Amino acid sequence: MSDHVTVTIDGRKLEVPAGELLIEAAQEHGTYIPRFCWHPRMKPVGMCRMCLVELETPRGPAIVTACTTPVSDGMVVHTRNETVQRMQEGVLEFLLINHPLDCPVCDRGGECPLQDHVMAYGPGESRFVEEKRHFEKPIPISELVLLDRERCILCARCTRFSEEISGDPLIEFTDRGNGVHIATFPDLPFSSYFSGNTVQICPVGALTATAYRFRARPWDLEAVESTCMHCTAGDRINLQASHNEVVRILGVDVEPTNQGWLSDRCRFGFQYVGSPDRLTVPLIRDAEQGHTEVTWSEALDLAATRIGEVLAGSGGQSVAVLGGARLTNEDAYALSKFARVVLGTNHVDAQMDDGLDPQFLAATVDRALISDLDSAKAILVWGPDLKEEHPTLYLRVRRAAQELGAALVVVHPRRTGLDDRATHKLTYRPGEGADLLTELVAGSGRASQARQALAEGPVVGLVGRTGYGEDPRLAEAVAAFVRTLPDARILPLARRANIYGALDMGLAPTLLPGRVSVGGEGARSIAEAWGGLAEHPGLDTRGILEAAAAGDIEVLFLVGADPLRDVPDGALARRALERVPFVVAIDQFLTDSSRLADVVFCADGFAEKEGTVTNLEGRVQKVNRIVPGPGQTRPDWSILDDLARRLGVELGFGSAEAISKEIADVAPAYRGVTWDRLDWEERDGIVVPDGGEAPLRFVPADTPGTRAGGDLVLHLARVMYDDGVTVRHSPSLAGLAPGAAVHLHPDDAARLGLASAETARVVTEQGEATLPIRLDDTLHRGVVYVPFNQPGMPPLGPGPAVTVTPA
Amino acid sequence: MLPRTMSRWSPETRERARRILARYPEKRSAVMPLLYLAAAEDGHLTPEGMEEVARWVGLTPAQVQSVASFYTMYKRERTGRYLVSCCTSISCMLLGADEVLAAVEDEAGVPAGETDDEGVITVEHVECIGACGGAPALQVNYELVEGVTPDTARELIRWLRSASPEAVHTDEMQELFGTRRSFDWAVPERVGAVGPFPAFEPYGTTDGNP
Repeated sequence: MSDHVTVTIDGRKLEVPAGELLIEAAQEHGTYIPRFCWHPRMKPVGMCRMCLVELETPRGPAIVTACTTPVSDGMVVHTRNETVQRMQEGVLEFLLINHPLDCPVCDRGGECPLQDHVMAYGPGESRFVEEKRHFEKPIPISELVLLDRERCILCARCTRFSEEISGDPLIEFTDRGNGVHIATFPDLPFSSYFSGNTVQICPVGALTATAYRFRARPWDLEAVESTCMHCTAGDRINLQASHNEVVRILGVDVEPTNQGWLSDRCRFGFQYVGSPDRLTVPLIRDAEQGHTEVTWSEALDLAATRIGEVLAGSGGQSVAVLGGARLTNEDAYALSKFARVVLGTNHVDAQMDDGLDPQFLAATVDRALISDLDSAKAILVWGPDLKEEHPTLYLRVRRAAQELGAALVVVHPRRTGLDDRATHKLTYRPGEGADLLTELVAGSGRASQARQALAEGPVVGLVGRTGYGEDPRLAEAVAAFVRTLPDARILPLARRANIYGALDMGLAPTLLPGRVSVGGEGARSIAEAWGGLAEHPGLDTRGILEAAAAGDIEVLFLVGADPLRDVPDGALARRALERVPFVVAIDQFLTDSSRLADVVFCADGFAEKEGTVTNLEGRVQKVNRIVPGPGQTRPDWSILDDLARRLGVELGFGSAEAISKEIADVAPAYRGVTWDRLDWEERDGIVVPDGGEAPLRFVPADTPGTRAGGDLVLHLARVMYDDGVTVRHSPSLAGLAPGAAVHLHPDDAARLGLASAETARVVTEQGEATLPIRLDDTLHRGVVYVPFNQPGMPPLGPGPAVTVTPA
Repeated sequence: MLPRTMSRWSPETRERARRILARYPEKRSAVMPLLYLAAAEDGHLTPEGMEEVARWVGLTPAQVQSVASFYTMYKRERTGRYLVSCCTSISCMLLGADEVLAAVEDEAGVPAGETDDEGVITVEHVECIGACGGAPALQVNYELVEGVTPDTARELIRWLRSASPEAVHTDEMQELFGTRRSFDWAVPERVGAVGPFPAFEPYGTTDGNP
């Protein structure tokens, strides 16, 4: 084997891949070489000296660091002989010159690499009697992370992570010699979206997280592997609880998705699970008294009676269901079946007016895997700012551009997190994307160089809506263009939790489980299996809200949905909710919307139930249970099952696992996906086949585009921290939302007479707000950027036409 | 942070910065010479100065601080009008540097590492300044004086206080206070502990010197 070499490690002859680092090669064959600074996902530096080994060379024994030495043929290595042992003892004795022995009060104690290594490889006693160095301890370096400089062993894992991986080097070594320590710049905190990763990879207790500090000891923790449901990348996590309370989430290093990294929203956004504001009993609303607590039977009876009356009167067409993206596939399937069979309606939508065609999101052909980014020659990102909405995908794209040599073209109305790594960056006004796309297709004008960068395949296109002002059809036109590129694959981007699973389970007006089209060929077998289906054409979220506002919807289900905060046109949602005579909410919190519901069922949430979720690649993975739901909460499927029974329909759901078997039977794409396989054989998940019954074939659209009338156009886009329920009810994150503001280009601000103004009046067709002004010279001129759903912000609506005047 | 277009620096300093930046294919490589400019602008290296450099070279302020704090000649605290650096490395030490330093400290009235109340003299002890042939040696604002004795060192401090020279010059000080000298070098340096040692043409920091 020419790509392999033979090395002898501690007397064992081994065949290992050429060029591999000694520390990796040894580990793959069962020889663990101790280390602190080396991390498999980062470049080696050889800082800590813990991995010293002895090589036999023609000039005698040589001491090298195993983390910086690639294997070569005939290499003879000793990792545990007397010399190496003495060196290891020496290194540890030196590391402990300054490291305090405060293990009993250190968060890391019990799972600390330094503690473990001192026990396994240390000298037992130190000869040093000198005073250790002292620093104030600990100091907050951000809202989420604390730094104890006395414990730091200067391995540079955190600084390398922030420079190499996340691209925001806000912490660095400062001073020199004995004074070296990690520091932020004064008044410039370590406000990285990925700061929690440094806490996870710190080999000592120097970096600790405010969310976990002093909450548990490692030996008190129960742990289970699960999948993050904050964004749609399907990141693998280790979910940890103590005394029935989720206390920590760690990233699990799996190749297909997150490679061990997590965003802080995923890592610290578990706190809402144990929030005291959780709903713990069913509620019914009384015109005078507001919500009162009732028993499950009372709530279910009331809902069933009112729904029964409406169904008997005006039928399923006047019943609609919003939400479902926060559910597991099993619960989503239950909701889909409940809507179609019991309610007899196709007015079902899990996308909260995100605008993208469900076929585009769920049934894209040539769908890429996240790992395709690693081998891509060119990557086109024309969609949301990945750093804000798909954080771990952002890390993967960043790595592809920075380390793996992919050309990166980013198209967005303003600065994005990837700009510093982009080969070409194009900005444009929302609504004028079609013109820019035409240029990109033709390779003309300002897009000519970007077009050239996309000429060599394989190409991966990450395509979605850049913001709510953008014409949703543009994404499909962009995807159509991507399909013309050599060896191209597409990742359609949507951000909402398990939205891909929800669509695959038929929570869309045009889809049934398994991406079967409503009214299509495959619908017959589903109708047969279910014993009936709704017949009428379904409305999407916008259609449902408009019909509701017009008085055509009599019963509205909100399933983990808060349309008042969550759809771009909040004013329309308010008109709709106020008009619907009977609103049923299944939720974990009383949100602005469920406050208006007549019946509120309390449901189990994340970490409280077992099931599967589907990520943006179509990868199905398990989510697992580690804590019980609070009070009387129940799984969504069981609530729906009970409600159906009261309406005279037996849905036949015995358990979530039984539902998963039904999904595998009914939904063509999910054949063979079982919990058993996911739990034991396919820990990285099963990627279901791409495409659907009527897979969308993209044709380059003829210049779609809504042009805003005036000279200003609104770019309303989501950011990582907003006022959504999971962030609002997670105390660590709640304060991190940047706040409502209107961002203007300095030239536009001057033109509008706002150059020195503090606030401005922003008016769209759908709403208005007075917002603080931020000047941003990275904006395309004429673009008014407003981050969506910030605390205290009135609903502004998606525009795109907007006027900005002095307040 | 301020956008790139908004600078705290004077137009002249910005022009110098542009010329320095143009010498490097990688912007970040210009961090060290730009730190000297930042120090010259504010009298010493301030957080604002480091932020400004960060904007120019495309690093974060934390990274610039990391570089600035590694090198001892980037003064991050206000220094006096005259920075007196006494060498205490081996050659100078063998020829009486400890006595010279003690005399300087006594005459200046401050221990090494500190600045007098009037902001005129800062005393520091430094490692080898490359003048072993003329040991014991010291520097005033990085201008070398070789072969000093405790007595001439005291005279030097008194002279700095009384004559308050606009610029110090190694030749002049050597004439007045030095004895043996190894060789003659360096160009005059402006007042303040702000310049590179010596003023380097490639750094673009020699222009404007008397």
